[in-house]
Amino acid sequence: MGATKVLATGEGAELARRARAGDGAAWEEIVATYSRRIYNLAYRFTGRVEAAEDLTQEVFVRLYRSLDQYDPRQGDLQNWLMRLARNLIIDDYRRRERTPQETHAEDIEAHAYHLRAAEASPQTEVERHELSAQVQAAINRLPPDLRVCVILRDIEELSYQEIVDLLKIPEGTVKSRINRGRIELARILRRMRVIGVDAL
Amino acid sequence: MLCERFREKLTDYLEGALSPSEDRAMGEHALVCPVCHELLNEVRNAIRACRELPLAAPAPGLEARIIAHTTPEREMTCAEFEEHLTDYLDGFLPAPLFHRWERHAMLCPRCTDLPGDVVRAIGACYASLAEELPVPVGLHERILQATLGTTEARHVRAPLWARLLAWIALHLQALRLATLSPQFATMAMVLLVAVLVGSTISRDGTISGLYRTSWRLAAQTYARGANTAARSARTEELRKVTEAIIGDEER
Repeated sequence: MGATKVLATGEGAELARRARAGDGAAWEEIVATYSRRIYNLAYRFTGRVEAAEDLTQEVFVRLYRSLDQYDPRQGDLQNWLMRLARNLIIDDYRRRERTPQETHAEDIEAHAYHLRAAEASPQTEVERHELSAQVQAAINRLPPDLRVCVILRDIEELSYQEIVDLLKIPEGTVKSRINRGRIELARILRRMRVIGVDAL
Repeated sequence: MLCERFREKLTDYLEGALSPSEDRAMGEHALVCPVCHELLNEVRNAIRACRELPLAAPAPGLEARIIAHTTPEREMTCAEFEEHLTDYLDGFLPAPLFHRWERHAMLCPRCTDLPGDVVRAIGACYASLAEELPVPVGLHERILQATLGTTEARHVRAPLWARLLAWIALHLQALRLATLSPQFATMAMVLLVAVLVGSTISRDGTISGLYRTSWRLAAQTYARGANTAARSARTEELRKVTEAIIGDEER
């Protein structure tokens, strides 16, 4: 699967219009363009390959049903789509938060192994995949309320205000959770020897 | 002058603290006595060397330690230190807090590595971003099956009426772009209505018949209502669009 595609301005609106009218090819292009980003976002929150796949599918089903609500005058398709996807993924995350599950370190390791095996990468690629898997494992160990803020700030790179709007919690709370989340993440990564004097 | 007397007065001589007669006597003795001459030069060089010594830099954390010992009320707790970490990294910490924070970072063995670790943790997040996971095999097909009911998306086409409306909307947009006068937008609406009405009275029932009927009705409506002076230019625009529609259909 190639890198994330980027649609030209106006192209997204036209695709959405065609997909809304029932054009399968247009919808397929939207799926192909945004599935990687949405899958990765889902994976950050779920930390599990299978759960991320299910969640990605669910998000696309909801997006497909909501295409009527997309208004090109209020921003391009990507912004609308990612905003909706984030909302859905966070809703799902909060639902799961209420029913705690065990950690899934073995699942992450299996995924990292799968990546290594599938792509037969050179050494640096393997290391990068390992770093990615280790960061994900560390994020999974964060308390849920801190995890969501760290993902949105340091992985999704949203502004404080965007996080406030998305989570509907006060700005002071967002800032404090990001702060505590980062400190906690740093301590976890140090314990895992991902960062520290001899690491990196 | 005796050499002993010369050595006694040497410091005063070098500092210019002697009376003129003593000063002269010291100078004369230094010229005639090679031992005292040598001594004078050595002392002069030693003083110069001392003055040229570089200032020793204070040990790291010295200032922080002095302040911590003299004004302990200005110390920061570890909890406060952690609370302000992101503000410090973002550059939002006000000056008084900033100095207390840095002092704590310098002195507290528990906290001293934390800022660096947090920066590296954020860096690790960004680095992991560079490698997005690929979409698992079969996920696209699952999504298409769940939304379109088939994995053969290209076989799913919009209903005829939807494609027709989309087509009209597209050409109306072109018409709007070509329009110089805002009143002409009304004409676009007339054309749209005419097309919809025309669809019920197309003589031969075909799509191209529908368009031709629409065009005729639109032209008639326009001819009746439009300003004569503006007609030629606007009709030209209208004709272009209509020809595009009909031409497109005939192709």
